[in-house]
Parts: sequence; C-alpha cells; structure tokens
Amino acid sequence: MRRWITGFALGCAVAVALAGCDRRPGGVASSDWRAGVKEVRFAVRGSEGDPTMATRWSVYQDYLSKAIGLPVKLYESSDYNGPIQALSSGQVDLATLAGGGYANVDAQVGGKVAPILTVRQAEGAMGYYSALLVRKDSPIHSLADMKGRSLGYVDFNSTSGYLYPRAKMRELGIEPDTFFGKTSFAGGHTQAVLALQNGQFDGAIIEVGGGDPVHGFTTGPQYTMARRGLLDVGAFRMVWVVGPIPNAVIVTRTDRPQPLIDIARGAMAALPYDRPDLWRDIGQPDGSAFTAVDRSFYAEVIRLRAADIAQRRSGSARGGKPS
Amino acid sequence: MRAWLPLAAVLCLAASSAEAASLRIAEVVGSGGACHALRADAPAGEKAYFRLLGDRLGREILTCPVVDRAAAAQALATGRLDVALLDPAAYAPVQATTRAILTVRPAGHLNRIPLVVVTKASGPATNLASLRGKSLVFGGSAEAALAAPRQALADQGAGPGFFSREDVAADADAAAAGLRSGAADALVLNTAAWQRLCQGVRSQDNRCGDLKVVWRGRRRATLALVVRRDIPDELRFRLIGIHVAMHIEAPGTFAWASSWLPGGAEFEPTEAEALALAAR
Repeated sequence: MRRWITGFALGCAVAVALAGCDRRPGGVASSDWRAGVKEVRFAVRGSEGDPTMATRWSVYQDYLSKAIGLPVKLYESSDYNGPIQALSSGQVDLATLAGGGYANVDAQVGGKVAPILTVRQAEGAMGYYSALLVRKDSPIHSLADMKGRSLGYVDFNSTSGYLYPRAKMRELGIEPDTFFGKTSFAGGHTQAVLALQNGQFDGAIIEVGGGDPVHGFTTGPQYTMARRGLLDVGAFRMVWVVGPIPNAVIVTRTDRPQPLIDIARGAMAALPYDRPDLWRDIGQPDGSAFTAVDRSFYAEVIRLRAADIAQRRSGSARGGKPS
Repeated sequence: MRAWLPLAAVLCLAASSAEAASLRIAEVVGSGGACHALRADAPAGEKAYFRLLGDRLGREILTCPVVDRAAAAQALATGRLDVALLDPAAYAPVQATTRAILTVRPAGHLNRIPLVVVTKASGPATNLASLRGKSLVFGGSAEAALAAPRQALADQGAGPGFFSREDVAADADAAAAGLRSGAADALVLNTAAWQRLCQGVRSQDNRCGDLKVVWRGRRRATLALVVRRDIPDELRFRLIGIHVAMHIEAPGTFAWASSWLPGGAEFEPTEAEALALAAR
C-alpha cells in the first residue's frame, strides 16, 4: 500500500511539475524550445551623445530576461558595423538597427535576418529625418551653397547620416561624390556635430526627429548634447532636411526558435502599454508604440543601399568620396 | 483499492498534461457547453486561426461555447477557459482576476494613444470630474489632437455638454497659450505633443512648470481579448507576439481573427485596464 501511495504521490508530483495542477495555461510543456539555448544575445548601438543610455538598457535587459525566461546579454557597440556583422555571422539573436544597417545585413544574409518591430509615433508617423547642419554664422543657407565645401557624414552604414541624403542629392541632380570639396566620416552623429562646431567641416549630415520640417524637431544629436549642457542648440542652423526615413528596426535571426521570436516580439510590443515609464527611459517618445513590420517596409532603403554601392563600384566618383 | 491508485496517478498526469497542452478560447454561440476541438464544418478562417495558434504555441486549441460575453467572462475568471473577447460591460465584474491583452487598431486610424488633460498648476482642479462646466481647448484638429482626445474624454463621462465650451487651437503651443492667458480652463493633448510642448533644450528646462496634469489615460477599448491575470507572462507575450504580426504573416487568418472589429489594420497590445474606465 505504501508503495502505491508513494507511486501516486510521485505520479502527481511529476504531473504538477510537467503541467501545473493550478489550472493555468502555460508551463514546462511549452518551454522545450529553451533546450540548448543558454542565453539571448541582443546587439544594441550605444548612444555616444547620452552615456546614461547604458543604464537604461540594463533595465530593458532585465525586463526581457524575465519575459523570455533566459539571461539576455546586451552587446553594446559604439560603431555601426558591430551589430551588422554580429547579426550577419549569427553571433547575436536580436539587434536594433537603422534601416541602412538592416539593408546591409539583408545584402549579406538575406532571409536569415528579418525585421520584427519598428516604432510608430503617436501621430502615426513611422519615420525620421536627415538634416544638413551648419554653424549659425555660416554663409551657407542651402544645399547648393555647399558646392566645393567640406561635408561630414556620420558613417557608411548610417541611414540618415549617409545613405538617404546622398540618394536624395542624386534625385536633385547633385552627385555627392563630386559636388563637395571634401567629405569625411565623423564616426557618429555626436562626433559630426562636434566636428562641425570645431570648424572641421562646413556642414554635417545628421539625424533629427520628434517632429517634422513644418513643426520643428526635438530629437537629434544637437538636442541631446544641448540638454547635457555641452553646446547651445542655437549655435547651428538646419539648411536642408529630407525624409521621412523608415524608423529604426528590431531584427531577429530567423533560424532561432519561433517561440523565442514570438516572446521577444510580444514582450517588446507590450512594453509601452505595460511599462510606459520604462518605455520613456529607453529614449522612446511619449505616446509611441512598437508595430510589426517586415522586409517590405525597408524596400526603399534596401534599394538605395544597393544603388549607392553600385554607384561607388562603377568608379563614377572622384576625390569627393569620403575618406 | 490497490488497483485504483496507479489509475488515479495516470489520470492525474493525463488531466494535468491535457490542461497544459491546450488553450481554451470562448466562442459566443447562445448556449454553453464543454470545450472541444473545432468541428470539421468550422469556417475556414477559424480553422486557420486555430491552426496558427496551435502550431506556434505547441498546444491544442479548443473552442468553448458560451451563452454570451458575460458568461465568457465568468468562465474565464473561474478558470474554465483561457481567452475571451470581452466588452467593458462583460469585463467589469471580472476586472479583479482578468486583464485585457490585445485589441485591434482600425485601418487609417491611430493606436490608442495616451492623452493628458492639463490645467494651470495654481488652479483648483485635481481631476477630470472637477472640470465639469469649465472650458477646454484642443491642441489642433488632426486625429491625435482632436478626435482621439474627444473620444477618450467621452469614455470618461466628459463628452458633449460636460465642458461649457470647447475650442480648437491651431496647435499645442497655441492651446497652451490659451490656457495660460485664461481663455481656457483646461487643455487636452496627446502625450507626444505634451512632451514636445514641455521639453526644453537643456535637461533642467521645464517649460511647463506652471501647468499640471489632472488626468492621464487612453481611449477605452470597445472590445479586447482578455486573459486571467495569473496567466504566465511567457504565454501572454507569445499570444501578443503572434497576434501583432498576424496581418503580415497570415493576412487571411488575421481577417477572420480580427473580424469582431471590421476594417482592422493590426492587433495592438493593450494595458491591463483597457476595457475599464481609467482612474481619474
């Protein structure tokens, strides 16, 4: 009898362990996908203009770890190429990228990486802008005035700081590789503004957002730096603005377990509703939310990236290429 | 006796496993009954929806016939099913044990964006109710500035006739100027416009120190998918992750799954209290 009672108790204990006798759905049966997955690796770009971002990301990291039920490791990269290569080589599972970065990944590995979420702003917009910034006392008042002048781009893999404005210049009949006297990569948006401030360039191409050309902008490197007391935002002027550019994207490796992708997407999509405080803390505009996207949302950026690379390879450029 | 014990153990195991391996969804059919697998003559869209959920969740999806939404809410609250489509009236009695997780964003319209009602910091108002009979100014005429706040206010009982006068300013700055000058007693904005209005160029800047928020909330959802509050986060996030991408990954399935709100563009996650009146 005691043997059977022990057996019964053991049977129920196993049942509880396997499925939960608390009548709640979920439980161990649905977590087999975790076998062999030790951690989730998430590549994010550091904000060179806002060092507190690292602390904020750590709170986000905790949120995702609890949601996914696995340790989430953040790989913070100071440059554009880090997350792109980490994702392409499969060293990370998830990443945040600008559209141009995703276009680069797409060109390298195609469907092995897919967009899952981007941000929809409160008023429904899903894009940001690229601006040509000059010093307030500059004689430059338009893109045309930049002919023969020095221009600072952000990075070859920057969408707003390189890819998109160059495509728009070509649409205006301006060949960006020959129009300017000299062009260089500053390495980041903040560095581009600092270099402009220091007189290294006559103009710098940077990202701006949180508004539009009619209502003005509230986000961008010069605003971030001004809020930290590093510069006076009134010391600069925007003389050319193009966009909107599709907002940055969260992408995933498609060869990862589908439950991992579903949970990550669900947890991130729920964040602005569950934790609006944390949503703001990670730098998202009030009232915005994630929305699901796929490759088609970035089709224009992918096309522009391919065209830019083809243009550069065709050898049409002269000395104006970024050095 | 001995012979029954191992059988009981097996039954216990089987019952627990079956429970964990299924997801029970309420279906309002005018009469109640036991949860069961979809019948062969179920609509194609419903079959596709159940197949998608089953494949992605790795569990059997069952349909649970209920008389109406109120019965679905009760069955959900007492653990007899796991997901139900509820309206605010059905949700109210089970609010303590259940929560909304998903609704549908109509095509061509905004998310359920958060909004604020603002007065002068020195004013007597402390909540929305205390603004009855006062004047209100909207910060523009776009959906995010006018239609969305108007609907959210109506949800709170501050619809037509609540305010003595409603003005529509050109933008948030003009609306704030109206509030500050005394031309209006209160201002309503979406939180993005509020953030832009108040954000200075330096971190210590607060351009709205003379104003205060007396109400913050979203438009109430008219319908939402609801689960029990004790649902594991993993399952809740999986459900959200599957649904929010459905319009892209399986448009035909999305059309059926969102048919309770015709013309839907996508599933949108919600806060727990999306079907309740927001706190004032």
